Amino acid sequence: MTLLTATVVPSVPTKGVPAVDPVYRQIRDLVYKVSGMYKAEEKLYLLADGCERRMKQLGTKTPREYWDQLTAQPSRDGELRQLLNEITIGETCLFRSQPQLDALRKVILPEIVAEKTKQITRRLRIWSAGCSTGEESYTLAMNMLEESESLLKGWTVEIVATDLNDRSIETAKAGIYGDYALRSTTDYFKRKYFSAVDEKKLQVRPEVKKLITFSRLNLQDDSKMLFMKGMDLVFCCNVLIYFDGASKTKVINHFFSNLNFGGYFFLGTSESLMKLNEQFHLVHFPGTIAYWKPSLSSGKL
Amino acid sequence: MITSFTPTIRERVQRIETMPAIPAVFLPLMKLLGNSAQEVALDEVVRLVSYDNTIAAQCLRVAGSPLFGLAQAPKSIKVAVLTLGLRRVETILLTCSLGQAFAAKKWVLDPAVFWRHSLGCAMVCRRFSEKLATADPEEAYLAGLLHDLGFMVNCLAFPEEFTAAMERACQEGIPLDEAERATMGFTHGETGEALAEKWKLADDVIEVIAHHHGIEQSQKAKPLVALVHLSDLLCRMRGLGYGYYERHKVDLIADPAWAILLQAHRDLEGVDLVRFTFELDEAVEEIHALVSTVFGTASALT
Repeated sequence: MTLLTATVVPSVPTKGVPAVDPVYRQIRDLVYKVSGMYKAEEKLYLLADGCERRMKQLGTKTPREYWDQLTAQPSRDGELRQLLNEITIGETCLFRSQPQLDALRKVILPEIVAEKTKQITRRLRIWSAGCSTGEESYTLAMNMLEESESLLKGWTVEIVATDLNDRSIETAKAGIYGDYALRSTTDYFKRKYFSAVDEKKLQVRPEVKKLITFSRLNLQDDSKMLFMKGMDLVFCCNVLIYFDGASKTKVINHFFSNLNFGGYFFLGTSESLMKLNEQFHLVHFPGTIAYWKPSLSSGKL
Repeated sequence: MITSFTPTIRERVQRIETMPAIPAVFLPLMKLLGNSAQEVALDEVVRLVSYDNTIAAQCLRVAGSPLFGLAQAPKSIKVAVLTLGLRRVETILLTCSLGQAFAAKKWVLDPAVFWRHSLGCAMVCRRFSEKLATADPEEAYLAGLLHDLGFMVNCLAFPEEFTAAMERACQEGIPLDEAERATMGFTHGETGEALAEKWKLADDVIEVIAHHHGIEQSQKAKPLVALVHLSDLLCRMRGLGYGYYERHKVDLIADPAWAILLQAHRDLEGVDLVRFTFELDEAVEEIHALVSTVFGTASALT
């Protein structure tokens, strides 16, 4: 009688995913451990592509050799940073994560509105921390405007957008985007909230800009962080991955204090806080996760 | 309130003449599932697959699908079983035999959606258990696969009431068990329990079917019920739900089921839930592909 052992059963390749060097899985785990960013199996090729671009620049021949460069001093920290740059490149666009926006509009806003209405407050404060060139901030603003005739009727919405880089902020303020940044923006939003600059570029309309204040801020500047009070939502995508463990913990603790009770903290779609802050509750929404600072009435603090 | 309904539900379920008998290959299969892969005899699996022509044909079709990237379709069941691996064959067999037991025309839920959720939950249960040293992954897999058996009963025994519940759930974006309770006064937990008892399934599996939405009522199998409850929630949040947007947030660690599971498996504390979530996404596409290959397109069944 034949026994069906592990050696007889061939492993079955996953559909559409080309075989990658197993070293990339090691690199994936290293990146996760250091930055909290996880590239799932079907996105492993993105990580492999990023590594290969770095290898080309460095003249490294094999993934194994590149692994050594990522793990051995003195090149380690600098190289990991370069790799993170490579794998997050091109992720910036408007409407980057529809599941996040759905969670925001379908679940979170109704909850916050109900909670705040009890306190007779009609003000919503959102912080786009590490806003880069403004894509996320405008996406949030447009989505809030969509709710302004229904859920948020009579509410004041304020979006604070900050970044460390002055040049990024200037670009963000201009609000001019090309096809690539607008690749996930529907015609409905393009028509309603943009005007044409030329054949290839669209500019965000003034009524959207009105909701946002752009300014420079270093997330590691403790004294300034203390002033960022009364936030209902904080978005910080692909920023904390560059911080070392201690700085990350400090910044996350600031975010926790910056948030109102019942507020939410969002990271990028493949990022995780790991266990750097035990006060935040990890919560799931369809297709996305967020971190919740429990409301006083929830009894979960 | 629920207790007073139970005899009526049980009576209605028992009375229905069309209520399917337990599929012939089902019990031997479950017995096989209890063994580790190394101990399962290939000949025995081939015999079970060949028992039913339809299932054998489905197995060959799946083995030859692009999902597995073979150059040509396997010519025999034995080759198909070797190609697919034991776990996939078990999955296909259980799914097909259960699928056959219920008449396709009577589905209120899209069967493809139902199977994606059931197979997804089974897969999550298995992977979750694998992270806990003292949990039994195969038992968890089976419990996950069968946890929503009651939906099948609802389609047969209470089609109108269940249609109303389904419509309400979709419209309001509320969990399906909540909608069932509000419109029918009982849930798929109770109807599933009635059929599971009739089929004489294992006690622990019956508890999972009956109480995965009401864990406090579970008596003997609390940790398993907790595991299935959490896996069910996780599936619904990661693209393997019931095909509509559920407007609620899920706080798994604050769920009473988490504490119950933690009591039984202390190593749950070390599980990185976010990474686990991301890892599950890797399997979603494969489950979609598997379900479409086993059942053809969803529309062919409805």
